[in-house]
Amino acid sequence: MATRVDRFAIPAGIAATLATLAIVFYLPVGSVLVSAINVGGQLTVDPLLTVLRDPFYTGVAHSLFVDPLGVPRGISQWIAAGTPSLRLGLFGFTAYQALLSTVASVVVGLPGAYLLARFEFPGRRLLRSVTILPFVMPSIMVAVGFLAMFGRQGLFNDLLGIVGLGPVELTFTLELVVLAHAFYNAPLVTRLVTAAWESVGARRVETARTLGASPLRAFRDVIVPQLLPATLTAAVLTFVFTFMSFPIVLALGGLQLATVEVWLFARVRDLALTEAATLGAIETALSLGLIYVYLRFEALQVRSSGDSRGLDREPLFAGLRSLADPRRLALLCYGVVVLVLFVGPLASLVIESVTTPAGRLTGDYYAFLLSMQSGSGVGTVRPLAAVSNSVLFALGALALALPMGIVVSVVATRESRGSRLAEALLTAPLAVSGIVLGLGMLRTLVFGTELFGHRLTITGPVAIVAAHAVAGYPFVSRNVTPALSAIDDRLVDAARSLGASRQRALRDVELPLITPALVAGAAFAFAISIGEFDSTVLLAEGVDSATMPVALERYTGNRSLGPNLGPATAMGTVLLAVTTVSFLVIDRVGGRWEG
Amino acid sequence: MRRRRFLTRTGAGVAGLTALAGCTDLGGSSEPSGTLTVATYSSFTGEETAGNWLKSAFEEEHSDVTVEFETPENGLNQFIQRKSEGVPIDADLYVGLNTGELVRADEQLDSDLFAATTDQVDGADGVKDGLQFDPDGRVIPYDTGYISLVYDEDEVDAPTTFDSLLEPAYEDALIAQNAQQSDPGRAFLLWTIYNEGADGYLDYWQGLLDNGVQILSDWEPAYQAYTDGEAPMVVSYSTDQVYYHGEGVDMSRHQVGFPNDQGYANPEGMAQFADSDNAELAREFMSFVLSEAAQAEIAVRNVQFPSVEGVEPGGDFGEYALEPPEPVTFTYEELSGNVSGWIDEWARQIASN
Repeated sequence: MATRVDRFAIPAGIAATLATLAIVFYLPVGSVLVSAINVGGQLTVDPLLTVLRDPFYTGVAHSLFVDPLGVPRGISQWIAAGTPSLRLGLFGFTAYQALLSTVASVVVGLPGAYLLARFEFPGRRLLRSVTILPFVMPSIMVAVGFLAMFGRQGLFNDLLGIVGLGPVELTFTLELVVLAHAFYNAPLVTRLVTAAWESVGARRVETARTLGASPLRAFRDVIVPQLLPATLTAAVLTFVFTFMSFPIVLALGGLQLATVEVWLFARVRDLALTEAATLGAIETALSLGLIYVYLRFEALQVRSSGDSRGLDREPLFAGLRSLADPRRLALLCYGVVVLVLFVGPLASLVIESVTTPAGRLTGDYYAFLLSMQSGSGVGTVRPLAAVSNSVLFALGALALALPMGIVVSVVATRESRGSRLAEALLTAPLAVSGIVLGLGMLRTLVFGTELFGHRLTITGPVAIVAAHAVAGYPFVSRNVTPALSAIDDRLVDAARSLGASRQRALRDVELPLITPALVAGAAFAFAISIGEFDSTVLLAEGVDSATMPVALERYTGNRSLGPNLGPATAMGTVLLAVTTVSFLVIDRVGGRWEG
Repeated sequence: MRRRRFLTRTGAGVAGLTALAGCTDLGGSSEPSGTLTVATYSSFTGEETAGNWLKSAFEEEHSDVTVEFETPENGLNQFIQRKSEGVPIDADLYVGLNTGELVRADEQLDSDLFAATTDQVDGADGVKDGLQFDPDGRVIPYDTGYISLVYDEDEVDAPTTFDSLLEPAYEDALIAQNAQQSDPGRAFLLWTIYNEGADGYLDYWQGLLDNGVQILSDWEPAYQAYTDGEAPMVVSYSTDQVYYHGEGVDMSRHQVGFPNDQGYANPEGMAQFADSDNAELAREFMSFVLSEAAQAEIAVRNVQFPSVEGVEPGGDFGEYALEPPEPVTFTYEELSGNVSGWIDEWARQIASN
């Protein structure tokens, strides 16, 4: 009996995962993207060509689609003219700012991984837990925090003034947008690389050192190859996310720095759906293509450490000696950067929640939350209900995303034909614009389909949880797949030759070995759910399913305390507090498993 | 007292309507009943809002009626899309659409989303002429905002003309909003087209860009940036001082500027869905919205000007909400067929800069 359950568990898991994906992801997205090539029942590439041939969208690359044969001549003329700067077009500029943001995120994120993976200090676990916080912050709150921190009259300029520098004008610049993207994505780099670093086997480093390798050489030859996949994963994801970045760009940078997503949103708002679908299809193709190329690369990487003992952490504070250690001094400088870039905006947000526009201390915004809580008017979103909805949905999403992620990872680590392609397609929720998904969900799930004279719609809490799980599970599988493929195949083979089924081997041998990766993935899935706005608000039936970001958005539009974002910042602070506590719990519970 | 006066007026209205519609079972004494579903934007509902006041007051007048709200995130588009895809619409009326949205609905749909009701709604003839925006008598304006500039008089002089905004005195001074996604941003763009013409507005905006105008996503981030002192002037509403007045408030940062002595009116209207099976109740509700008491309440709670002639909201609103010397706005006919093109050309020019 047990073996029969065992035999069907993984295929059943795959089927359930695919069914969930089909309903809340592929069907909605497909319904939108198909209109890029299907106009009035006719298959056509015209909308696609119209976009690709428009220099506004593709800049100088539009010649490739207008006059491909003239490209070599164009290039030689360009060189002859002394290589003047080229017009990037909307796609080109979007890719350019995404590239800058990726570099910034990796540069800011890697030292964090070094600190968390290699040093021991009081509060290390706490710090690791809260690195996820930027992930859940609604962009309007990040904009408030960034303006208060980096604005003309912000805290950063005040600090620069104290040391006799500045002021700097960062508002409405690409630099500030890139910094905000690093704020969101550097923690992703830090978390993924920390997890990889923690799984580097100590014995291999020791072996290298015994064989005469210098510490630097051992780092380069043993550690770097093991960190590279995680770093590249984080970089690829950051590029994809910042390529599709939308509200933060226009809130901090302005329309001059518009990305493709801004246009996509404008087209959807104008109900110019063919052009919207075309932009979405090109975006998706680029993102998925990048993810596929990356997965091919990852599959070629060295794997299997087979070593369960990790590197020992050094104490960060080693008395006066630390002051003479260049590594510790560098980490001290890094600490200052972290304070300015991460703590600064978040603390500014908290300060804004107790400050009037005129700069006086106030408790009004929290009193507003209390009045909402006791309010009786229809359409009132109550803060406590939003908190409990958020936590419940996140737990539900977690319960669904973990098995989905594990199933996908098991598929991905199989060495069969097309498994990279399958994995890329299963990672697609990361590569599709939230605007396209939202439009698709509206047309399929919310509008429903007529079945036997009855209209079947898929909305409400269960649909919300499923949508959150689909948005979150790729983070689980992205964490679990590398860990799973690093397990020595001989361990699984041994278990199976002793009579264990594939499921049993997964459960008793592999899962315990990948617990750190599972916990890391769980944290992301939870964070994605807490921060999710677009599909939540779409699938909610009335205000009863409102979550914290939805409440925050409603309070943003509330003018009862005047035209300011005070009430929203108070809710933003509640969101920060609830998320912090949740992650402390997740890491503690996860830590118990890690033993 | 208020109740009796209202009932008398409604009674007269229903009698007139009976004659018009040729119905026989409508007496002045028959009380409407049932559930009225009102679709609107989310900030119209909730604690202390105009929407909730309307709900309670209307339900108080008609004890057998329940008013429910539906607030889809994508607003009117939700219903345009439902109509175009043949999905049922369960709301009876929409509250809160403007001229541009009506133009979009008509451009997207072959059949009518809304019913022509103006002739059958009591009080609709009291709406100010300058605010009427639907030539087909479907949408009835119930309030309006005036887009204007809010500025810091310690940093810049009052912006008297649109041309003055191109001068060095206003370098890096103005924050506006993206007309593709923001109502005030769209209204401000249309206002510049009103003054500079469809042939000249792109040149004018090039001048604004060269002078350092910033275009943020929406009203909230723009006003927040203004509050944080990023620039001394922002595109906003002429009701700014309703929020900022009295002792201890520094009014210098809340001056309202009307360039060319104008303000761009952005009237909000309501209309009954053509597919509503509760049409009579919907019309009853609309005529209630136009009653003097409701008009004054909406003005104060929504911080917008009443649309009906002769209504004077008292209190802070009456004292501090400023009306432009010359309200201007584009008509439905002027926007129809033009507005998307104007906005797209503009946005392309900004983003290519």
